[in-house]
Amino acid sequence: MASSQELSDFLRNIERRAFKQTVYAVRDEHVALDIVQDAMLKISEKYADKPVEEYPMLFQRILQNTMRDYWRRQKVRNLWTSLFSSFSSGDDEDERDPLETIDVEDASKDPMAQLERGQTMQLIERALEKLPTRQREAFILRYWEDMDVAETASIMGCSEGSVKTHCSRAVHTLAVVLQKQGLGMKAITQLGVES
Amino acid sequence: MTDNTNQTNTESMEVDAKLLAKVLDMRANRLSMRTLKQLEDARMRAVRLHEQKTAGIVNTGTGTLGRLFYWAEHHRTFVTGMILTILVASLIVIQLNSYKVDTDAMLLGSELPPEAFVDRGFEPSLNQRVNFDEPEQVTSIKV
Repeated sequence: MASSQELSDFLRNIERRAFKQTVYAVRDEHVALDIVQDAMLKISEKYADKPVEEYPMLFQRILQNTMRDYWRRQKVRNLWTSLFSSFSSGDDEDERDPLETIDVEDASKDPMAQLERGQTMQLIERALEKLPTRQREAFILRYWEDMDVAETASIMGCSEGSVKTHCSRAVHTLAVVLQKQGLGMKAITQLGVES
Repeated sequence: MTDNTNQTNTESMEVDAKLLAKVLDMRANRLSMRTLKQLEDARMRAVRLHEQKTAGIVNTGTGTLGRLFYWAEHHRTFVTGMILTILVASLIVIQLNSYKVDTDAMLLGSELPPEAFVDRGFEPSLNQRVNFDEPEQVTSIKV
């Protein structure tokens, strides 16, 4: 059984990636935060007796299921909001919080370099967001979460062959999209990433 | 030859994918202070819940009562519905009882025996008697 400290360390280790992964899927930071929080509470509530080694797979499965629940609810909600959309005035958008724009860990001091780097990263993120859901899931689990093909297949509920196909298509699509934007792998390496 | 080409392609794809994953990692490390704070709060809440679960303070599901509370917490709609049904049923029973008490009091306080009210022929007979009791108008005097 995992101790509370082990759970805390595990969550601290994955929380940022889990949040970004959810943002790529739902494209809304507030909703992504809610989903990640739900997943954290579910793993601590329902799987408190599991060893910490099982947490990465369990957490990913919970996260994927929570996202699916959100999409199901959203489908029903969209039906109603589309019916009443003509009554909304569109004045209820949130004001932008200055805290949202502060970058925490960016040691680079050259503003131009920061800007270019930020733009390149945004392009990559947008390309990832545009991938079909299954391809994005497979890519993130396999390469970002560093899971093997069998684990990814188990989380996604499909065969290992499907995972390989999804991953291959995802990488191919990303490469094509980035090439079109004038971003080859060389440009990505120049971001300061070591392959 | 073809196998070698395929293998090289796969390896190059893996390298590209890992490179992109590292960019995503960099991006994940540039979250806003507010987001980081909210994630930390969520984590603390989860850890606190885990502590409670492992210490068996709240709803551990180990004892009978604990299991009952745990079940109730996860079936809120059903439990709320059950409580409401019990409340409505209790209200109906109380209303019926008070009606019975009133009827009993009326029957006991009456001058007539309770059987009289049960008898179907009693009321018409009572009405007839009432008509009898009324003084008849004398239309002609017989000598």
